[in-house]
Amino acid sequence: MTEMKKEEKVYRQLESNKLLQQIMFQNMLMGHQASEENRLAWVTSGFPVEIPVAMDVGVSYPEQYGAIVGSQKVGPEVCGYAEDIGYSQELCSYARASIGSVENPDNSPMEGLPKPQALLAGNNICGTVLRWYDAISEQTGAPVFLFDTPPIEDEQPDHHKEYVRRGIERLVAFLGTTFNKTLTDERMQEVADLSSKALGLWTKSLTACKTSPSPLNCADRFLAMGPVVSMRGTELIIDFYQSLLDEVEMRVKEGLGAIRDEKIRLLWDNIPPWHSIFKFFNGLAKRGVVFPADTYTHAWSGKIEGDDLFGSVVSIYSNVYLNKGLNAKIDKMCKMIKDYNLDGFVMFSVRSCKRYSLGQLVSKEIVAERTGVPGVVIEGDMVDSRVYNEAQIQTRVDALLEMFM
Amino acid sequence: MSYEGVLEQSDSGLRELVEAGEEIIGYIYPHTPLELILAHGFTPSLMRAIPGITSGFEESLQTFACSYIRNLYNQRTNEQLPPISGLLFPGNTCDSLQNLTDIWKVRFSEDRVFRLTYPVTRYANDDSAEIYLTKELEILSSTIESTLDRPFTTDNYERAVSLIREFRLDAQFLYAARVVDPEVLSYTELARLVRSFLSAPVTSVGSEIHRVTLLVKEKLKSKGLLGIIDSILSGLQKKDLSKVNSFKPPSGPRLLVVGGMVEPQAIATIINGIDSVDDSILILDLLSFGFKSVFAPPINRSGNPFEEMAKSILAAPGEPTQEGLRYRMDFLKDLVKALHIDGLIICEQSFCDPDQFEAPSIEKAASAAGIRTVRIPLDPELSDRARIEVKIQTFLESLGIS
Ligand code: SF4
Ligand code: SF4
Repeated sequence: MTEMKKEEKVYRQLESNKLLQQIMFQNMLMGHQASEENRLAWVTSGFPVEIPVAMDVGVSYPEQYGAIVGSQKVGPEVCGYAEDIGYSQELCSYARASIGSVENPDNSPMEGLPKPQALLAGNNICGTVLRWYDAISEQTGAPVFLFDTPPIEDEQPDHHKEYVRRGIERLVAFLGTTFNKTLTDERMQEVADLSSKALGLWTKSLTACKTSPSPLNCADRFLAMGPVVSMRGTELIIDFYQSLLDEVEMRVKEGLGAIRDEKIRLLWDNIPPWHSIFKFFNGLAKRGVVFPADTYTHAWSGKIEGDDLFGSVVSIYSNVYLNKGLNAKIDKMCKMIKDYNLDGFVMFSVRSCKRYSLGQLVSKEIVAERTGVPGVVIEGDMVDSRVYNEAQIQTRVDALLEMFM
Repeated sequence: MSYEGVLEQSDSGLRELVEAGEEIIGYIYPHTPLELILAHGFTPSLMRAIPGITSGFEESLQTFACSYIRNLYNQRTNEQLPPISGLLFPGNTCDSLQNLTDIWKVRFSEDRVFRLTYPVTRYANDDSAEIYLTKELEILSSTIESTLDRPFTTDNYERAVSLIREFRLDAQFLYAARVVDPEVLSYTELARLVRSFLSAPVTSVGSEIHRVTLLVKEKLKSKGLLGIIDSILSGLQKKDLSKVNSFKPPSGPRLLVVGGMVEPQAIATIINGIDSVDDSILILDLLSFGFKSVFAPPINRSGNPFEEMAKSILAAPGEPTQEGLRYRMDFLKDLVKALHIDGLIICEQSFCDPDQFEAPSIEKAASAAGIRTVRIPLDPELSDRARIEVKIQTFLESLGIS
């Protein structure tokens, strides 16, 4: 109780969180309904979800489920169910959490995600997702559709674009035969507009954090991004992002920060440690540390627009942060540090996620050199707290903070 | 012979080439268009992970990078790679290799690094992957030409196509022959021959393999086994074993080794190191640098080179980095039945996502076919060799082999 009071002192709760909880709950119900009606697909976070949404296919997000498993601090148990059936502890803990929950739903949060009738994997975030969904397919019998977006080094060449576009055409055909649905131009336009609207509002909230004090901290954004990840293209989320933006703008206007006493502004790189998210960020908030920007929640920003909507889908979903090379990541981090006026950065080296994490030791050096601000790499996992050494992380972060004293 | 000795022996062709002043392009991924590199007048050489170099990666790679890429990186920082004119990395295969390439380019900016980005799609029932890969190959060719100032020549290409065709057909025959008569050629020797060719695909190595193939053919002809070998060969080439003639295998245990980028010679060394068994118990491997490299279909010389290379790569046996788990498992189930396999050794490179995700599916498929399995975590150092040997020995005992 005393602890909570102290936290309330350093950290401002968002009013719009109430609405967030409601729509996330509603989303869960919609997922169950879709599953009962045999029209549910599981999708990866970088998948062009606007297409299944426009075809009236319900969607659930195993990565989001992984975050819930992490937040409820049952990562070791649920991942353990996957390990019991042979999946190595070295594999992505989002994958293990979802495989584990399918294997043992009775002992998993919310009894696992509702049963899917299709699995839609987009490898623009990593190569792991295909193998993970293949494993789920073996467990559930749902077929996998792979949306293959070869990683991009610089500009996306034309033959890449053409190849990815053919993938989208196949996706529409796959959903058509699997769910007996069709895609109309009107509906695609409608969903694209709703998606762009939500992304527009979300991006405004993110960029408002350039102000000092920052109206949002990392944990705020990690929670608030849920709907834009999982419900892009639906009407349901517009109100939430509008009220979030209103609250953010109000905070900016009144000079209210996400934390009470902002002293140090840092960039966060990678997925957060869901099992310790409040402890970690609120602990630092007490010391005046805020994270006005991060590379993760900024990943959902591309709007589907123009005359050629499929062309726009190709471009947006090929150019996501994790589908680009190390140089693009370094450029983006440097730009964020400049634009958000940050004093340093923390890179979370996530053992689960090779795509996000391998390269951080190199980018840390380059980002520090280019921007002149210090950074630190801490290692752990986002769901599996067995490989999260709190004391070691604390020591490293302390060493970074000492540089600002 | 020690594992190091075994590796050294199969690298002699590469050493000779280097001494003769040949220019080498190193490659990492099994499904590399060797013909393309040869067509530009370079010798492609598979950069293998080698034991004995355990550090050097720490400043650039975390410990959870797969042991294979850590090893390659260590070789580079310790200047243990052979002298090469360029290095070809794959894109869109696994996350470790994808990111390693980026890191390499930054850390060793003086190296000439090329990247061929593969499609993952294999079962789309359209020509999109082929069109895409054809274009990637064309771009790779023009990049090699502009960077290293060596054009693609038709003469070189045609010679390369013949050389690699002959290697593949010979090596495929040897693989099929061992299924029927594993004593006819040791697995160690087969692995050495394949490895020598992948390290130095040159006429002298090709000729050595051809000589061995003729000898093996001769022996099997006298035993009247060529008919059944042809039938198995055709099944393996078509990835369809349903029409393989039935045969009575020779007495003795019959094991299959499966996995990804693990060194076939390492497996052979481990098996031969176990008391009272030898590698004749290994009937076949389904490893990336063994079966999966050998059974890529040879190229049709008369078509457009880039299209034909793309077709060959796309028709090679599937890797866990690609779409098609179900097809791979169906093939495995048919294979263990048709080839009378008694047990499966599943190799997993440590921290390798593709290997570690596929392993439980392989266990399930084997169990559905009534076959026992053992999982062997491996790294290029064979750092756990004593334990691995005990594990395999226990497995063999459980199969009634000792
Ligand atoms: S955490 Fe990393 S490896 Fe796991 S699904 Fe996400 S991007 Fe892929
Ligand atoms: S061993 Fe596995 S993870 Fe490592 S490079 Fe090969 S496929 Fe990738």
